[in-house]
Amino acid sequence: MATQGPIREPEILDPMIDPRTGEYVVIAPGHTFKSVTQKIAGIVLTANTPIAWFGGLFLAATIATGVLIAVTWLFLKGVGIWGVTIPGAWGFAIINFVWWIGIGHAGTLISAILLLFKQQWRNSINRFAEAMTIFAVVCAGIFPLLHIGRPWLGYWLLPYPNTMNVWPQFRSPLAWDVFAVSTYATISVVFWYIGMIPDFGTLRDRAQWPLAKYFYGMLSLGWRGSTRHWIRYESASLLLAGLSTPLVLSVHTTISFDFAVAAMAGWHTTIFPPYFVAGAVYSGFAMVLTLAIPIRKFYHLEDLVTLRHLDNMAKVMLATGSIVAYGYGMEVFMSWYSASHWEFFMMWNRMFGPMGWAYWVLILTNIAIPQATLWWRRCRVSVWWLFVLSFIINIGMWFERFVIVVTSLYRDYLPSSWGTYRATKWDYMLFIGTWGLFTTLFLLFARLAPMVPMSEIRMMLPQTKVHLGGADAEVVVQEAL
Amino acid sequence: MNTPNETRMNPQETMPAAQVVTAIAPAKLTLAEVRAKLEGKSGKRYWKNLDELAATPAFQDLMREEFPRQAAAGEWVDSVSRRGFLKVMGASFALAGLAGCTKQPDEAIFPYVKQPEDLVLGRPMYFATAHPFPTGAIPVLVKSEAFRPIKLEGNPEHPASKGKSDAFTQASLLDLYDPDRSQHPRLRGEQADFGEFQQQFAAAVAKTGTGQGVYFLSETITSPTLAAQWKQVSAKYPQARLVQYEPVNADTARTASKAAFGDYYDTQYKLEDADVILALDADFLGGIGFPGFLPMASAYAERHRFDKDKPMNRLYVVEAMPTVTGFKAEHRLALKPSDLDAFANALSGGSGPALTNPDAQKFLSAVLDDIKKSGGRFAVVAGPQASLAAQSAALALNANSKAVTYTEPVVPLPSEQTADLKALVADMNAGKVQWLVMLGVNPLYNAPVDLDFLAGFNMVPNSVHLGSHVDETGFFSTWHIPKAHYLESWTDARACDGTISIIQPMIDPLYSGKSAHDILQALLDPSVSAYDAVVANAKTYLTGDFPTAWRKALHDGWVANTAFTPKTLGAPKGAPPAVSYPGGGIEISFKPDPSLYDGRYANNGWLQELPKQVTNMSWDNAALMSMELMGKLGIEENEAIELDLNGRSVIVPVLMVPGHPNDAVTVHLGLGRRADAGRVGGGVGFNAYALRTADQPLAAAGLTINRSKGTYDLCVTKVHNMEHRGAYAQRDLERPLSDKDGAYSLAGHEAMERSIIRYATYAEAIKDPEYAHTGASGTLVNKVGYNPQGEAVPHEESFFPDAWRYDHKDESTKKLQNKWGMSIDLNSCTGCNACIVGCYAENNIAVVGREQVKIGRIMQWLRIDTYFEGDLNSPRAHFQPMLCQHCESAGCEQVCPVGATVHTPEGINTMVYNRCVGTRYCSNNCPYKVRRFNFLLYSDYDTESLKFQRNPDVSVRSRGVMEKCSYCIQRIEAVKIDADKNNRAIADGEILTACQQACPTGAIVFGNLNDPAAKVTQRKAEERDYQVLADLNYRPRTSYTAGVINPNAELV
Repeated sequence: MATQGPIREPEILDPMIDPRTGEYVVIAPGHTFKSVTQKIAGIVLTANTPIAWFGGLFLAATIATGVLIAVTWLFLKGVGIWGVTIPGAWGFAIINFVWWIGIGHAGTLISAILLLFKQQWRNSINRFAEAMTIFAVVCAGIFPLLHIGRPWLGYWLLPYPNTMNVWPQFRSPLAWDVFAVSTYATISVVFWYIGMIPDFGTLRDRAQWPLAKYFYGMLSLGWRGSTRHWIRYESASLLLAGLSTPLVLSVHTTISFDFAVAAMAGWHTTIFPPYFVAGAVYSGFAMVLTLAIPIRKFYHLEDLVTLRHLDNMAKVMLATGSIVAYGYGMEVFMSWYSASHWEFFMMWNRMFGPMGWAYWVLILTNIAIPQATLWWRRCRVSVWWLFVLSFIINIGMWFERFVIVVTSLYRDYLPSSWGTYRATKWDYMLFIGTWGLFTTLFLLFARLAPMVPMSEIRMMLPQTKVHLGGADAEVVVQEAL
Repeated sequence: MNTPNETRMNPQETMPAAQVVTAIAPAKLTLAEVRAKLEGKSGKRYWKNLDELAATPAFQDLMREEFPRQAAAGEWVDSVSRRGFLKVMGASFALAGLAGCTKQPDEAIFPYVKQPEDLVLGRPMYFATAHPFPTGAIPVLVKSEAFRPIKLEGNPEHPASKGKSDAFTQASLLDLYDPDRSQHPRLRGEQADFGEFQQQFAAAVAKTGTGQGVYFLSETITSPTLAAQWKQVSAKYPQARLVQYEPVNADTARTASKAAFGDYYDTQYKLEDADVILALDADFLGGIGFPGFLPMASAYAERHRFDKDKPMNRLYVVEAMPTVTGFKAEHRLALKPSDLDAFANALSGGSGPALTNPDAQKFLSAVLDDIKKSGGRFAVVAGPQASLAAQSAALALNANSKAVTYTEPVVPLPSEQTADLKALVADMNAGKVQWLVMLGVNPLYNAPVDLDFLAGFNMVPNSVHLGSHVDETGFFSTWHIPKAHYLESWTDARACDGTISIIQPMIDPLYSGKSAHDILQALLDPSVSAYDAVVANAKTYLTGDFPTAWRKALHDGWVANTAFTPKTLGAPKGAPPAVSYPGGGIEISFKPDPSLYDGRYANNGWLQELPKQVTNMSWDNAALMSMELMGKLGIEENEAIELDLNGRSVIVPVLMVPGHPNDAVTVHLGLGRRADAGRVGGGVGFNAYALRTADQPLAAAGLTINRSKGTYDLCVTKVHNMEHRGAYAQRDLERPLSDKDGAYSLAGHEAMERSIIRYATYAEAIKDPEYAHTGASGTLVNKVGYNPQGEAVPHEESFFPDAWRYDHKDESTKKLQNKWGMSIDLNSCTGCNACIVGCYAENNIAVVGREQVKIGRIMQWLRIDTYFEGDLNSPRAHFQPMLCQHCESAGCEQVCPVGATVHTPEGINTMVYNRCVGTRYCSNNCPYKVRRFNFLLYSDYDTESLKFQRNPDVSVRSRGVMEKCSYCIQRIEAVKIDADKNNRAIADGEILTACQQACPTGAIVFGNLNDPAAKVTQRKAEERDYQVLADLNYRPRTSYTAGVINPNAELV
């Protein structure tokens, strides 16, 4: 009957937190092979498509028609319907192009680099991140063709043998872009598709509707799930990951050469390749978050895409955001340290000139807000904050390209040719239309393809750690089928 | 028995002697038959038919004929391949007839059956004529392509103009092809016949007997033949009246001259003899609006060139509205009109209001000192529209000048036009005018508003309008006769020195136009054509054998020994006329528009688009005022205000002009025309004539400005917007230049900082001839780091020392290759814009219209950059022609992904229009921003008449391609081909770029840098030669000669 202290209630342990590390777990405990398969395949093979999906698709498709209208008018009249002029000969089209391509880099990094680094947590997000990449490349890829004055001759940028005996001019970064973006698109599609083959196999096996069976059957290329297939699949994944990894760095480096190789102050700088790549990963991860957060909510995937994923992605954003911040700081420092009047004026004009507002929006959205919040774990695991922040960062990254393209061009070397840039409604229509296009494609993907890789998730379950000959082996094998 | 054998007769016995057929040949197949056989077939049937056809011997014969070599047995290994080849070739012929491929309609072309002498199609011919202008005709050489004039140049052999031209002359070509020109005579709006008019008019005038009630209202008559015809008409009908009126006229000069010397005289300025020039409201470097512009600009530039051995002239300008002449001046005084009169009075020591402005007093004493020191080698230039006080002052002071002489007036019938017009209106209102014949005038648009010309006009029963367009006046006239353009007419005129030029037509009148000669001749002998009249008049001044002299006059473009003899008249005999100028309050000046003159060029796309001198406005006019006045009234740019003058008001936009006098507003005449002006001129700008009265046509006082009439986004092509001057301009972190917020131009400041503009004073230039690279008061060369800013990287330090050598020698001829380059002398360039219009004409450059120019998409390949240095209340301005620099290490070439811009071995950066896909990367990488892009389809592919003007040697660019200055490569190649054919070297000066040829001061020089004797090589060898943005290592081939100014130490 010794006095006892106040009765302490036992601590309620959050099942999602790993008690050993204090970190959130990657998969919620309690999943089995069957439950994973059922959950994800159920999204695709359901007969009842949620009405919200139709609503979303309708809205997105409506916005996407903006692309059709804007492009038709563009082909009829010419590039002059946009706000581009002399000296600002590049505007929204290039900004949007770089923005979309940059967004795509996160998917490839998740798919390829994190695979090579054996970061298993990427398994649940890599499928839709890679889908995001592909759709982003689709949205980006239309701009280089549209923004040229004679788009019907755009094929001249391709190195094809012709009777004129004329090849592209290979010293031009735009010619390099052709190679970079086409390689990127091709590898991304191949990687994404190969990765989905086992899952298509699962869907084929589980589908009831004959058309679905046929459709997924064609897509699964005769996948039997045999050991030989698995070995080949793993090798192929590693190979493609190896091929894609340099692309993460090289594609946006090549895009940055569009600017770095030119002679304009504000463009002509060697910091662009790493700065662009970091910025690309930054905006890409922001976009992944923009997609992941609603997906896990609406499709109830919180146990597969956990707070750990969000936390990790926020950490990547913090890292790349810091690199980007360093890049901005270096630009400012160098414009003073170089003692070059061109650089100094460019930076002064960028900050305090008539378009100075864009620069400060950029600093606010890209540096100030993320840096002020992402260092704190509370913010990094706050779902609603990350969602809002992902938009802020993407806006910021768009403004980064805006500041780079427009402010360097509109007040350059000869003061007599200083001008201004004002986007027209067609610029906006096309840009917003591509958001609609992206969303449409993504919604279609969400409905028709497995968003989360079932095979890879299953590989992460504790049940896979099975010893040969153990009593559980039989059970496990039975369950998996 | 009669066996068949027996009955068979010997063929040779029984056959009549007929033709023996020795071989049976199948009917020869023609291509048309092949096509016919295959017509209508497609797909498998087509090939089946072709197969069958190919097997026939007729087809094989045909193919053998077409391809004898390939059909020969020896060519082919086996007959199968040969047949196959022939079959395919046959198919290719027949494919033209396949349904699905549309066959082009047959368009027959015929060469000349009887080719005109000397015409080689494709080779242009040159004819001499002149551009008649009220201040003096400009002699021109017209380049005609198959008898279509496509380019005008100055006549190089003319003693006064020496081959130079100006913006108006260059642009007058487009007026010939104006699609809005009136195309047929009209009677009360209905199509009529000129013969009808002639009869009616002649009959009506003959009925009056004495010509009572017949009035002619003409533009300033410049043709001696027309004057002679008028004398004849006047003799026949003594009561007929002639009034000449143009809204921009020389009334004050005439009045002053009459008062001083008793008669009308034209002043001739020999600026080559003037060390000191004082210009009173005289824009003699601006254009042919000033009489004698061409010789004066040339002489001024010659004396303004820096040469250690020759003294440099010094220009003082006193003016009410900033002009290019004012900004070339060493010392410029901006005075509002009443102050300018006071200045002029003080100058000549006459009576009148005293000069109170201390700056003006200082200026005055310095000028008078300088004039005294010059020992007669000075000239006081008064503009033709300068006030009476200024004219009188000039006449008074020039008595002691060795550089000023007087001649009889260049126009044959000088008069005081406004007074005459007033009398005419009085007569109209009194009902005395029965026939009002208007020759080339538009009084319903530009007559002084207080005369109310319309009211008087409505009282005239018969009005006749001879005009190029059915304009504001033509629309309301009883008769309208289309006026022939001078390039379609026979007439004559005198140049500014009096030399007569016979104007011969280059092309038949496009729209059955008539000239004033025809109208007057209707009252004399209608069978005499304009040609006959000119010939008849020529007999009075051509000496020697007439046919030879006539042909020589037409060939040369001018008649020798017809120039006026200059006289010195000494001091004015009479008292200067009384000047009553109220002054006070805000004053308004009416100036002719620098691009449109009095409005006659309103429908000329080139001139409407041409950025105006000093203001760089395009497609607009505005109330021009100083920054101080704007601040006082609280007006911001882009605001629309109302100008109220004596009860008449007009709503106008506002533009700040650096260096404008305070409390004064300037408006340009010639805009605000109605839709009758044409598709280009209609509805552009506002009508300043609505404020202008007959008593005060030059300037008036008592202007009220009312604010808040909305906004108006002006169209200005250069950095003229407030944002470049206002809040951002003052934040120069190194050295604020002025206390006033935004009182200097950021663009101008940067132009000096970046060593884009370099100049020095005369003393500095003598002391350090290398100032362009070492620095001077107007040259900032910041020596920072390894590559001193502003200097080119020495070639020896390049990684590619063997690159860019351009010293290749031709193997057979051992001639050194051509190395093209250009040098522009900033001292000589006056910013007159002649080069720009010349470039438009030569290179088929498109006019893009107001909205596009506002965004910055003007297509001019060559532009004149104007930079304002210093305090914007009294700045120094610099003009720099900027065109493609043809950089050896061009940034544009590196970044074009399709290789549409490449470097020729002779050093020209060429643009391959048909390869360009329009990524515009080249424009981004061009630091000079001289590349222009066809964002939309700017070239007019539809209007038929404009197609005649196009230069066939230059592509007309379509949408989506980049274009830029090509150093007139078509001219270079034409001369190279000619030199090659004739096995001779190209002489220096044989290739003239369009801009070089038009430039009145010879500022632009182009040539072969590998020729040590070439002018361009010598210019580039001068120490003052520098390249713009040289430190970018683009190695531009166009360089500039730094300026030198000769300021007066007293006024600095």
